[in-house]
Amino acid sequence: MGTIPTVTDAALVAALADGETGALRELYERHGAWLHARLLRRCNDREVVVEVVQDTFVALWKDARRFRHDGEVGAWLWGIAFRRMVSRLRSRRDVVLLPEWDVVTAPQRVLPSAEDQVLLGVEYGDLAPALRRLSPEFRSVVQAVVLDGLTTKEAGRLLGVRENTVKTRLHRAKAQLRAALTEPQEGWR
Amino acid sequence: MNVTRNTVELTGVGKRYGRKHALVDVDLTFDQGVTGLLGPNGAGKTTLLRIVATSIAADTGEVRLLGRDPHRAYADVTAVRRELGYLPQELGYPSDMTAFGFVEYVAVLKEWNDRERRTQEVRRVLDLVDLSDQATVRVGRLSGGQRRRVGLAQALLADPLLVVLDEPTTGLDPAQRADLRRTLSTLGHRSTVLLSTHQTEDVAALCERVVVLAGGTVRFDGAVTDMVATAAGRVWLADEPGDDALVSWQTGTGRHHVVGGTPPAGADPAEPTLEDAYLLMLGPDARRLRAPA
Amino acid sequence: MTTEAQYWHADPALLARYIAGALDAVTGASVEQHLSRCESCRRSVGPLLEPGLVDRTWAGIRDAVERPPLPHSLRLARRCGLPEPTAVLLAGAASLRSAWLVGAFLSLSFATLAAYVSGGTALAPFLLIAPLAPVLGVAAAYGPRQDPLEALVATAPYGRTRLILLRTLAVLVSVLPVTALLGLAVPGPPWLAAAWLGPALSLVPVLLALAGFVGPRAAATVVLLGWSSVVVASTRGGLDPAWPVEAGQQGVYLALAVAACAVIAIRLRIDRQRGVAL
Repeated sequence: MGTIPTVTDAALVAALADGETGALRELYERHGAWLHARLLRRCNDREVVVEVVQDTFVALWKDARRFRHDGEVGAWLWGIAFRRMVSRLRSRRDVVLLPEWDVVTAPQRVLPSAEDQVLLGVEYGDLAPALRRLSPEFRSVVQAVVLDGLTTKEAGRLLGVRENTVKTRLHRAKAQLRAALTEPQEGWR
Repeated sequence: MNVTRNTVELTGVGKRYGRKHALVDVDLTFDQGVTGLLGPNGAGKTTLLRIVATSIAADTGEVRLLGRDPHRAYADVTAVRRELGYLPQELGYPSDMTAFGFVEYVAVLKEWNDRERRTQEVRRVLDLVDLSDQATVRVGRLSGGQRRRVGLAQALLADPLLVVLDEPTTGLDPAQRADLRRTLSTLGHRSTVLLSTHQTEDVAALCERVVVLAGGTVRFDGAVTDMVATAAGRVWLADEPGDDALVSWQTGTGRHHVVGGTPPAGADPAEPTLEDAYLLMLGPDARRLRAPA
Repeated sequence: MTTEAQYWHADPALLARYIAGALDAVTGASVEQHLSRCESCRRSVGPLLEPGLVDRTWAGIRDAVERPPLPHSLRLARRCGLPEPTAVLLAGAASLRSAWLVGAFLSLSFATLAAYVSGGTALAPFLLIAPLAPVLGVAAAYGPRQDPLEALVATAPYGRTRLILLRTLAVLVSVLPVTALLGLAVPGPPWLAAAWLGPALSLVPVLLALAGFVGPRAAATVVLLGWSSVVVASTRGGLDPAWPVEAGQQGVYLALAVAACAVIAIRLRIDRQRGVAL
């Protein structure tokens, strides 16, 4: 627990607006790595990820003034980065933009390990097993809208469906999740 | 290009502006190391530096820079300029250029045509003057001292053999002056560095050798320690100001720092500083320089 | 937003599996959700990534951010083969700024329109502006009254003369083709479309030669007044509207141009203050 006050992300962004590259470097130290990781999980083309992260931070540099101080800088950056990547890869079919829901090799799908349980419990609580049991057609909309933060319109463009379809599926997914939450839990909870 | 023993040789150099003689019969040679040019305003320091920097030509006398005569042919002066770094006294900055952009522009003028190497070099000199974080700030928004450091950075591009700095310490705080001292002393191992100032503290901090100019002529040329030695036995600390002292002022302890003249009663000899030597050297003009404390 | 103290952190093994892609979507999403809130876990991700990747990305960011982008006209010129260092030098020149180009284009357009609408009798505006546009552009290319970089340009190996010539060339290249195109719309004999080039190409060396003596501003004023009086005198004096650019006069302009170039050349040679001739 540190007693020395560290500079907040928001303060760094404000310094950016004044034109200081030192602030940009610090923000990159804090957020660059995990942005790479999160993007790499959606797209295995490393060059694309590098360019997207570059574009994101250059955009941050140019638009620093527009950051409203009520949000998390990290979430804001992810929003810019993911949208940029989606638009870049729109034409390419060989690239994954949504992570696999079923990982064939991992045994956790059936028996979550102890630490996974803790993690899921911390982050998603009761929602986690319900999420796991979502029907396939709802998974992609939930991933795109709920987990990755796209708007329904953007998700529609990404998935190649109409915006209304996205809204309907989302609605039904939420209904399914609600229903799952009221059922008695099996196994370890 | 071969570098002769003396980087800069000035023989009988004179320069006139209308009726006014800015420089009269100046004989100086400069070599590796850091030399300070000290003198009151109008002494001719800037004129001398501009001649060495090939910015203007001397009216009389001979000038040899890096073994060449800059007035002989365009090829000679260009060859000298390739090894020159110059910080003029008044440097303007296009206000919408960034620090990086400014130094890069000068780098291109110095024929750094390869973009990769040029970028590395610009970053290096900006780092030397501790402006890496401000590289992208527009010059119009930098403080006076920061702007001066940008000017200093461009003078350091390519580690030139001849570095001419006109009042480089303007607007620098003591920490920055210490940084400058480090940079210049490293530079002085290989290059000839000439800097001008009218603050004796700068010379004492930055230079090994000092040249005192006044009224366009050279009053002293030698090591800083030798100059300080000329004031030995002529500086005292007393309870009252001396009657015929050259100049005296009251220090923070309440006693009077007396320079020149006969020592008043009860005076203790004081360790002379470069400033004392400078005041003694300039004689009657010294009163003008040393405003009452 | 302040970072709340996190009582739970992801252990390195879990993060490693996350990065290796060995987690399913829901667990992965949980990790991501956690990362978006936990500073220290975010920092743990770095060492687990492929070495050098993050640094490589940073190099690109730094490059894009440090170097100011070139103006559009220069970007176009780069595509056409302009060397990169030259583009950097020109980016500092005032006369290539879009505003000046747009202004020149607009005034030329109006002058052409006037000539067109009048059926070839009101040639004076066009003949006045067309040769002056490059002259004023070159004068502007000298930079502001006290060019802030004057002392540095004068003592740099590149050379002040060369820089001025470069800027002159840049001005001519950007203005002459546009004027030539507009000239085609001016009614009259076919040679008129190019005749304005005569005074244009001779007034520029005259400007440069004069500027070496009295500076760019005074020189530009002299040239401006001189050419204006020629054009005005021809309209007042009841001469043919195209008189200023007729064959006889072109000979004079040619002689002027040659004389100006000679003056510049001699000055360059004899001036002890190298590089300050222009």
